[in-house]
Amino acid sequence: MVYGWAGKTLHVDLGTGKTSTVPWDKEGKRFLGGRGGNAWLFWKHTKAGMNPYDPEAPVIFGSGVLGATGLIGASRMEVTVVSAAKTETHSIGNVGMGGSWAPELKYAGYDNIVIKGRAEKPVYLYVYNDEVEIKDALGVWGKGTFDAETLLQEEVGDEDAQVASIGPAGENLAVQATVEHGYRSGTPVGSSMGAKKLKAVVVRGTGAVNVHDPDAVMELNRQLVKTVKDTKKRLGEAIPRGEGKDAYLQGFLVGDAGVVGNYESHAWRERPDVKKAYEENYLEEYFVKNVGCFGCPFPCQPLYELPDVGACIWRCYPTYWPWKLWMTDLASAFKGTRMMSDLGMDNKEVATVVSWLMHLYNDGLVDAKDLDGVSFERGDPEALFETARRIAYRDGYGDALADGPVALAKKLGKKATDYLYHNQGLTMRTFEFRAEPGTALGEVISARGNSLRATTYHVVLWDKPAREGYAGVDPKERDASYEWSRRLFGTEKAIMATEYEGKPAALIYEMNGAAIADSLGYCATMIRPGRTGAPGSQFGEASYQFAADRFKAVTGLDVDEAALFQYGERICNLERAIVVRDGRTRAAETLPNFFFEAPILDGPQAGKKLDRGRFEKMKDEYYAIRGWDPETGTQREPTLQKLGMADVAKELKKMKKLAQEKAAKEG
Amino acid sequence: MEKVLQVDMEKCTGCRTCEAACSLRNTGRAQPARSRIKVIRYEKRGEYHNYIPMVCQQCTTPLCMEACPTNAISRSPDTRALLVDEKACIGCRVCNMVCPVGGVSIDPVTNVAFKCDLCGGDPECVKCCYPEALSYVSKDKLDVSLKRARSAKLSELFTLMESLR
Repeated sequence: MVYGWAGKTLHVDLGTGKTSTVPWDKEGKRFLGGRGGNAWLFWKHTKAGMNPYDPEAPVIFGSGVLGATGLIGASRMEVTVVSAAKTETHSIGNVGMGGSWAPELKYAGYDNIVIKGRAEKPVYLYVYNDEVEIKDALGVWGKGTFDAETLLQEEVGDEDAQVASIGPAGENLAVQATVEHGYRSGTPVGSSMGAKKLKAVVVRGTGAVNVHDPDAVMELNRQLVKTVKDTKKRLGEAIPRGEGKDAYLQGFLVGDAGVVGNYESHAWRERPDVKKAYEENYLEEYFVKNVGCFGCPFPCQPLYELPDVGACIWRCYPTYWPWKLWMTDLASAFKGTRMMSDLGMDNKEVATVVSWLMHLYNDGLVDAKDLDGVSFERGDPEALFETARRIAYRDGYGDALADGPVALAKKLGKKATDYLYHNQGLTMRTFEFRAEPGTALGEVISARGNSLRATTYHVVLWDKPAREGYAGVDPKERDASYEWSRRLFGTEKAIMATEYEGKPAALIYEMNGAAIADSLGYCATMIRPGRTGAPGSQFGEASYQFAADRFKAVTGLDVDEAALFQYGERICNLERAIVVRDGRTRAAETLPNFFFEAPILDGPQAGKKLDRGRFEKMKDEYYAIRGWDPETGTQREPTLQKLGMADVAKELKKMKKLAQEKAAKEG
Repeated sequence: MEKVLQVDMEKCTGCRTCEAACSLRNTGRAQPARSRIKVIRYEKRGEYHNYIPMVCQQCTTPLCMEACPTNAISRSPDTRALLVDEKACIGCRVCNMVCPVGGVSIDPVTNVAFKCDLCGGDPECVKCCYPEALSYVSKDKLDVSLKRARSAKLSELFTLMESLR
């Protein structure tokens, strides 16, 4: 009997209309499921440097090993594509999100769906247990993701059917396009569906998922609910994103993480009038209630409804990009978030290009006539709304922008290019990399790039903590965190945001952990070790034993923390193999010169910039710990063999993408 | 004191942890389709999201029991839950037809009636419901918490009226 895994992969060819079901391959199990399982299918079904819109380029959907098993917190879906948004080097792109889609897929009997080919006219895929249909989507093509969801549920006659869809942005092949499911999205992967003329994947399942030890699963759930209740009693509002008031928002407001404008300021946030306006603009009065992902009763998806705007989940991301646009008007930020969710596009990508254009505009390097008459005054929400709309419909300057910010920069000239900070074509996350070397390393060294989930974020202890109840306010908690860091990474500096020391080890710990979470289909916030005071600590565990216990209860496979980490290491190595295959080199793993050359202008970290020598030294250390070749950043054969990935090593060797071994000479 | 499974739909987040827990407890596998409790969703993305957990209310006058042609439904003397005798049930669905809340249906696997039995007085769904949309309360306390929640706004208004006086 298979436990945890559904045990089947669904293959669909939209070109021929053929569908087939194959058993989930044993080799794939090395990478668990979810993100790792998708990466395995990606490795098998793509070629080096594949064009994202090649009809044979797959769109891969996946659910994690623990998804749908009744374990609290296991609801994540993963979508993996050849990333169109990485305009400079197309390679793997993936997004993970919660909701109810992934569990529904498993109840239908599948761990993954691999979709290839291109339909002649708009279609959607409808999966109802073992009935799979490619259906006409003309009625919903052109609609926003909100309407599409409702209409498709009506069409299949089942309000329990779960919908993952693209909006106009995806249909029009805007690289910023997302796949949306219940306001939950993030990284841009949607245009790959658009290229296939695939509007949506609708799933509904009524089957069962086998669990090795149901009593153990129920007991883990009971304990977890009790732990969170107890923590809430102890800490009250400090539970991240608790009860409608977004604690992330407060954390970022007073922490050092947020950047104002296009890396133009920090001090602006601290200005009393700005702070006051921001606090007055909290949208508390519009909070409706919390909405949950499948099988998770904890509050982290607050639903808000604004008059004349409508309802939307108000997540952590959109609460801190308003600074990039010099905005204190959170109602407009909410409106923008909702609009982009409906158009099916990535908040962060769009907001960041607007902050770049505002920078150019403010410095007099572009004016409204360069941008179809649209003004980019700092703080003007219309610039955001207009840009989002124009990208989604490829209107005016939005047409070039829909091909990525680099394409528009080329049209606007040299200065525009200099002001645009990107990573492989993806915009940079809103962190102050100049003050956070570990975060900077994670940004460029992770396979996906630009990933909040794959960096040191969670192990960073900001030197200047949030006002109350956040990381490290209590000296006792701070000392416990330092002790934890010394034990794991040899130095307390590993969790200090502004230090270089110990960062590669801490980053690898985080990256492997995130890979485990994403591949188990488990919520990263909950599964990460609860270092005191960090997001996730309300779940009460201090190690990945939390994850190992759950994996064992569901699958019956007896793994401890170390064995689980092997899985994480393996998944990161597979993703590494993919990006190296597609052209990633050591030289490419760096940030734009700006971050090494231009010091921070103001605020508590004024004067800081990245040190190139120390940054490169972190890379040496990172590659060495991974068992990769520090010279090239390519993987070494023995490393892959030790991980049970000789087959991957063999493929890389054929492509001359494996490190040259010097062993023969030395021996 | 006899206890009752109380539903406060305003607190429901629609997460369906109860459905997963119910199926694990009662079938040993995770399968919401066989859960005794079901969260009915009324959603229009971008506009509203209403969730209503539907489960047997263990009626005072149980129409299912009255209607059952084989007397397969009886009341537990311990928990007052209405129980199905699977051997006696013929799967005729009459109970399902007469139930005012859809609290009893036919199990797609066993093909006989299945419904909430309050887990013998220790309902699993309640234990997982962090928002406390589900609670298991003494009959004499029933509804008081709902009344309190619903009257909270009136209380605020009351304070306001006092201050204006």
